Amino acid sequence: MSASGIGAKVRRKEDHRFLTGKGQYTDDISRPGETRAYFLRSPHAHARIKKIDVKTAERMPGVVAVLTGEQLAGDKIGHLICGWMIHSKDGSPMKMAPHPAIAAGKVCYVGDPVALIVAETLAQAKDAAEKVAIDYETLPAIADPAKAKAGPQIHEIAPKNTIYEWHLGDPQNVAAAFAAAKHVTKIDIVNNRLVPNAMEPRVAIGEYDTGNDSFTLWNTSQNPHVARLVISAFVGMAPEHKLRVIAPDVGGGFGSKIFIYPEEVACLWASKRTGRPVKWTSDRSEAFLADAHGRDHVTHAEMAFGADGKILALRAKTIANLGAYMSTFSSSVPTYLYATLLSGQYAIPHIYCEVDAVYTNTVPVDAYRGAGRPEATFVVERLVEIGAREMAMDPAELRRRNFVRTFPHQTPVIMNYDTGDYNASLKKAMEIADVKGFGKRKRDAARDGKLRGIGYSTYIEACGIAPSQAVGSLGAGVGLWEFRRSARQPDWQCGGAHRLPRARAGARDDLRASGLRPARHSDREYLDRAWRHRQGAVRHGHLRFALRRGRHFRDRESARQDRDQGKEGRSAHAGSLRTRH
Amino acid sequence: MTAVSMTVNGKAVTADVDSRTLLVQFLRENLRLTGTHVGCDTSQCGACVVHVDGKARKSCTMFAWQAEGANVTTIEGVANGATLHPMQEAFREHHGLQCGYCTPGMIMAAIDMVHRLGHELDDKTIRQELDGNLCRCTGYHNIVKAIAAGARAMK
Repeated sequence: MSASGIGAKVRRKEDHRFLTGKGQYTDDISRPGETRAYFLRSPHAHARIKKIDVKTAERMPGVVAVLTGEQLAGDKIGHLICGWMIHSKDGSPMKMAPHPAIAAGKVCYVGDPVALIVAETLAQAKDAAEKVAIDYETLPAIADPAKAKAGPQIHEIAPKNTIYEWHLGDPQNVAAAFAAAKHVTKIDIVNNRLVPNAMEPRVAIGEYDTGNDSFTLWNTSQNPHVARLVISAFVGMAPEHKLRVIAPDVGGGFGSKIFIYPEEVACLWASKRTGRPVKWTSDRSEAFLADAHGRDHVTHAEMAFGADGKILALRAKTIANLGAYMSTFSSSVPTYLYATLLSGQYAIPHIYCEVDAVYTNTVPVDAYRGAGRPEATFVVERLVEIGAREMAMDPAELRRRNFVRTFPHQTPVIMNYDTGDYNASLKKAMEIADVKGFGKRKRDAARDGKLRGIGYSTYIEACGIAPSQAVGSLGAGVGLWEFRRSARQPDWQCGGAHRLPRARAGARDDLRASGLRPARHSDREYLDRAWRHRQGAVRHGHLRFALRRGRHFRDRESARQDRDQGKEGRSAHAGSLRTRH
Repeated sequence: MTAVSMTVNGKAVTADVDSRTLLVQFLRENLRLTGTHVGCDTSQCGACVVHVDGKARKSCTMFAWQAEGANVTTIEGVANGATLHPMQEAFREHHGLQCGYCTPGMIMAAIDMVHRLGHELDDKTIRQELDGNLCRCTGYHNIVKAIAAGARAMK
């Protein structure tokens, strides 16, 4: 381990405030004159709202306003969006249903907000919520993604509850490879839905400034820049320069704080209607209903093997449950982030993947921890592991035989692997796990009446939705950059220590000499998401570039100084490195 | 409304609060001591742990009036001026935190653990004692290391 630079032990810069109780999370902020918000949520998975009567609730002590979806629509507040366009096999665009911040006319999942109660205290808001009378007409609901196409239609825009039927790869080549296979392994697997549950529940504080006709949103966000873009350009709350989004310290996100949520829109809107700051803090039980969930895939997959155990082809058909509405990045997760990783660490000549995304009457699903990539790994690794057992082969050996060994390696699913030594990693892992001693451990365990097993899994991940070439070739309608100059505030964190990777990557002098610098929030440059190591995917490219450039300038400068010294006997410009911006 | 008075971090405080006000609400909202956090509504997460008369208590699970006359210490009252408490220092040294949200509760629970069980704590004891404190980021490994080191440093 070196004393400085990559690999050095570096203490985090932000720890002191967290250790002393001086961190500033969104709920720690209290605005002068603030009110508290409580969302009344649908108790039904699918129902028509026949009537909402708020008169009694409005007269309850401390109540400032009781707001409904009809009023939201009346004020021309737009819908939330999914920002990533996916086209179906037939070329048709994905079927994005309207997603109002507060439901109007009907509710589509348990937890769908139906009214916002603003009061002097949270207890008063909750008391008043009990007095909101809602007449629901319940409708048949569907929760199982595998049966969604045959279920009751949830949105007018999406017949058979189908959002898109997407595919990647060449089905003909795959079919030919399967026809020539010595062995075919088939699996049906469920990658279950989960609830992210960061330790810090979500919070939104909306504040409207009548003097400047502008808004400020404080929120628990992994990407305040996108929040501002979506809430201004798509929801239409205010022009971008009239909306400021501030994300203070974030107590964990795991993806769930990437998205733009109804509560953020509703609190901003309510702050203008009431003329007072409006603060909403989720409680833990509410988070289960209000935070986007993760995963929820149902997959049938097949792998074709040759006589020598070589993988000839893979095909997968996945039904991805996106829940009741399309969350901000939901469409990209089971497509760009999933199918492109189906080659795993293996040289697989032919891959074909079909993904049907469906609506169900469940909480919306979006990116969670790895987002699509762990789902892909699960499919590939189960196929390989089960295949090995079916063919009575050593699972490690089967993997070894199929690892990519020459680089760069072009997979049949867009990605080009530039470097790697998967066999070395497997060897090391087997040493650490003492695979050789497993037989004895198993026998010892059996003597104690216990069962002991061993399994393998390899993993590869494309970080930061990069490289841009790859997403470009998939037809992404958004700009993504290989290198960029934008970053978070130097001190900002969302649970992943943004300062640490930078400090660790170190080599500050070279960075300084390059003329590049970590940008500040105030530079107003745009960064789509804080993805910790995924920021690293972008930033380390940036650093590599910067270091090369820095070395180039340093070498040039020292050569010049050497020349000057040769001429004049001493340096006239010692220490002055020229930088270029 | 109920009148409450107690000593918080060595300072006498008194206030009229709604009788259903929880101690954590009183600390965070009335006294603006926001280092004590709320991570659940089921008494499971431990982000709200403070010391009441020297003992670790989940401040979300008691009313403010139940601390009437008590001596309350929060995470803000642990350090000695600019000098960190040995347990805080151990968390820093051993990278026992990531997002920092559970950290105040962890440190308050850890100090209480040392008060009750002494300065030599093995991993099993620490892990067992931490069953009322949840962390979502670290996997507990470094928290356990930090508490063992902090316990020794508190001698």
